[in-house]
Amino acid sequence: MSLGVEPAPADAPDVELLHAVARGDEAALARLYDAYRVILFGLLVRILNSREEAEDILQDVFIQVWRRAKDFDEKRGRPFTWLVTLARSRAIDRLRQLGARQRLATGAAQEQTETVSDALSDTIKVAQRETVRRALAELPEEQKHTLVLAYFEGLTQSEIAAKLNAPLGTIKTRMRSGMIKLRALLGSQLENFS
Amino acid sequence: MTHENHKELLAASALTALDAADARVLSAHLESCSECRSEMSNWEETAALLALDAEPLEPSVRLRERILAGVRAEARAASLASDRVPADVSQSDDNVLAFARPPRKPLVSFGSFGAIAATIVFAALIIGIVLLWQKNRNTQSELARLTAEMNQARAELDHQRTMGELLTSPDGHMAKLSGTNVAPGAHAMLAYDKSGHAMLMAKGMPSAPEGMAYQLWYIKDNKKMPGKVFTPDAAGNGTLEDQIPAVARDAAVFAITLEPKSGVVVPTGSIYLLSSS
Repeated sequence: MSLGVEPAPADAPDVELLHAVARGDEAALARLYDAYRVILFGLLVRILNSREEAEDILQDVFIQVWRRAKDFDEKRGRPFTWLVTLARSRAIDRLRQLGARQRLATGAAQEQTETVSDALSDTIKVAQRETVRRALAELPEEQKHTLVLAYFEGLTQSEIAAKLNAPLGTIKTRMRSGMIKLRALLGSQLENFS
Repeated sequence: MTHENHKELLAASALTALDAADARVLSAHLESCSECRSEMSNWEETAALLALDAEPLEPSVRLRERILAGVRAEARAASLASDRVPADVSQSDDNVLAFARPPRKPLVSFGSFGAIAATIVFAALIIGIVLLWQKNRNTQSELARLTAEMNQARAELDHQRTMGELLTSPDGHMAKLSGTNVAPGAHAMLAYDKSGHAMLMAKGMPSAPEGMAYQLWYIKDNKKMPGKVFTPDAAGNGTLEDQIPAVARDAAVFAITLEPKSGVVVPTGSIYLLSSS
């Protein structure tokens, strides 16, 4: 890997940026970080409830991107999905390592967070976020709750059933129905997401 | 389990919400079913969009530079590893062969040609040796620096592993210490298990003056019990392993003060970090 590779052009799509990172282009990694940091950091803080832990994981994620960008295959998914999946996977691993204790102990972390400034609004694609939020709001509350417990708290179906004191079969049905409805609501707009 | 049964697991798998047994069954099926693999990718695209429900947040400005410094160090290490043997050889070839290939002119006096060629070759050899020596010195210096960085990273990893073990052990506890007005940017985590084995990781500590260090205190019912001392590194990070006295393991308050490097039995300095009671 060399640091002397010519940086990617300013309007290069994210796929090209990932290919450039795979060739050892540090500037391309910096551009990816600039484009995704607020989305990924927001996700990590939501999962870990701690800015400090979230920063450690975000650093780890981008070091992994640097090492593993050559594994990215655009035929199997978009850069957004690849990066989000990588970040969430690391955060859930960390959450399970720390245990529920950490979430409780740092329950006040959200109060200390600062939302992103208006200047960054374009980068984080406010409209897309609103679309996802509206879609979630259209789900029946129990389906939405099941998806949120799985996605942001890293709970398995059995753990959700135990937490909600509901039959496992009911949780499986809620989760699948919720995902099917979410996909239907977002499906027509999926191509527009970066 | 039928193909349709497997398909019903895909959405939950995209949320990594399957229980271990179902996850194993689906994983085996995916290896042989391209249709399910394709559908799995679609579910993963949907699941990833849930990330946008999280409030977007700005990480600290320092994080960007930390990441880029990390990848630069990796790139340098990789470059050094690939350079070491082949580059030395090619470097010496370049230096020597460029001078060691005088045009062959059989009609020129062999004696004078030989003397000139030998002088050129000798000079080229000297230059090559000097260049190699310089390169070797730079490489050694870079290797020493990278080794120090690696050792530091390994030590930090060991500390984090110990802390993880303490936190995940039965009856593991964790206390957060916040910086006081003399060290508003400092914070620390103290993890300990029921045996009293404790690990402290502090960040953002001001550098300790010459002859001074930070000392950990266990406070119970207004009784202050001394812990070990530590000195933070240049970046303000400090770690400490200690044994918490049995009496202080329940509902104790933890504090860090600035004290003489040898430690004291009664606190004398200002409190830099303090846990909530």
